[in-house]
Amino acid sequence: MPYQGDDEDAKLRARLSKLSGDLKGRTAPHAAAPESSAPRADGMGSAMAMGMRAGSEFVAAIIVGTGIGWVIDRALGTNPAFLIVFFMLGVAAGVWNVIRATSPKGAPANRNSPLSRPEPPDKDVRRSPPGAGRDVLHSKRGASDGATQTPGGDDDDED
Amino acid sequence: MAAETGPSIDPIHQFSIHPVVPISIAGQDFSLTNSGLFMLLAVALSCLIAAIAARGDSGVPGRLQAMGEMSYEFIAGMVRSAAGEAGMRFFPFVFSIFFFILLCNLLGFIPYSFTVTSQIVITAALALLVFLTVVIIGISEHGVGFFKLFVPSGVPIYILPLVVAIEVISFLSRPLSHSVRLFANMLAGHITLYVFGAFVVMLLGAGAAVKALAVLPFAMTVGLEALELLVAFLQAYVFAMLTCMYLNDALHPSGH
Repeated sequence: MPYQGDDEDAKLRARLSKLSGDLKGRTAPHAAAPESSAPRADGMGSAMAMGMRAGSEFVAAIIVGTGIGWVIDRALGTNPAFLIVFFMLGVAAGVWNVIRATSPKGAPANRNSPLSRPEPPDKDVRRSPPGAGRDVLHSKRGASDGATQTPGGDDDDED
Repeated sequence: MAAETGPSIDPIHQFSIHPVVPISIAGQDFSLTNSGLFMLLAVALSCLIAAIAARGDSGVPGRLQAMGEMSYEFIAGMVRSAAGEAGMRFFPFVFSIFFFILLCNLLGFIPYSFTVTSQIVITAALALLVFLTVVIIGISEHGVGFFKLFVPSGVPIYILPLVVAIEVISFLSRPLSHSVRLFANMLAGHITLYVFGAFVVMLLGAGAAVKALAVLPFAMTVGLEALELLVAFLQAYVFAMLTCMYLNDALHPSGH
C-alpha cells in the first residue's frame, strides 16, 4: 500500500470510515466491537506496559541526571557538588516523566487506566462545590450517573 | 532456549554471539554473526510478508492480505492518534520499526534461535535512531523554536531555570529508557524461560520420587511462554508508540 498524495489519501480515508461505519452498524447487535483505529491490548497487557514504562522512565531520568552531574564534576574537579545537585534534578525529572507518562495526552493505550483519569481544568471549577454542584450538573445535563462519573470523556481528545 | 542436561544452569549462554560466516576484510572482523543472521532473517521475512500481503490482485482479500491491511490500519491509527496528521510522513519509519522489532522478538521464540532484541546494542541503536531523527527533524522544521520543547508556557520566571533543567534531563533520558525497556524485557523473559526449563530437566534427572514434581516448573514454563508472547508483541507496540509520541514533539514542539 504505497503512500500516495494527500488528497488521494483523504478520499480513501473518507471512504474507509464510511464503510467501517456501515460495517459497525451491521455488527452492532452482536457485540460492541472495539474501534479498529485505537489499538488496545487487554487490561493486563496495557497495565503491564504502563507499569514497565513508568518504572523504566523513572530510573532512566535518575541515571541520566546523575551521569550529567558526574561528568560536570570530573570536568571541573568539584567532586560531589554537581553530582548531588543533578541527582536531585534527575529524581525530579523521573517523577515528571512518570506523571507525563500516566497523564492521558497522546497515548490512547493509557486512556483506561485509573491513574490517567483526566482532570480537565474547566471541569474542576464546576465540580468544586461538592453537594450543590452535582445537583446543578444533573439538572442542567439531565444526564444519568454514568455521565457525571466520567467527566471530560469527550473533550480530552488529541490536539 | 533448550535446557542442557549439565549439572549447572547457564541461562546467559543463549545470548552469546558467535560468527556464522567468518568474513575478514583488511584484518578487520566483518563476520556474519548469529545476531546479524537473525536480523537479516527478520528483514527478509517482513519484506516477504509485506510483498505477498500487498499484492492485492484479488478483489476479496485473502488471509495474508487481510493481515497486511489490518496491520496498516493498526499502525496508521497509532501514528495519527499520537503524532497527528502531519505524523503520517513518518508512517513508513514507524511501520518498519514496529515490524522489525516484532519479528525479532517472535523469531526469538523458536528453540535454538537467537533473540536480536535481547542485545542492548541493537535496541540502543534503534532508540538513538529515533532520538536523532526527532532532534534533526525538530531543528530543521522549527529552528530555534524546537527548544521551546524545554520551556513550558505559564511557568513563573524564578522557577524557570529549574524546570528547564528538569525538562532537558527528561528529554535526554528518553533514548535510555526507550532502549533499556525493550532489551530488559526480552533478556529477562528468556532467562526466566531458560531457568524454568532447566528445572524441568534437572527434576527429571533426579530420583524417581522427585520426578513427578517436574510438572510444576513445566506448567510454569507454559504459562511464561504465553506471557512472553504477550510481552513480545507489547514491547514492539510500546516502542513504536513512543516513537510516535517523540516524533510528535519534533513536529509540534510547543504543543505541550
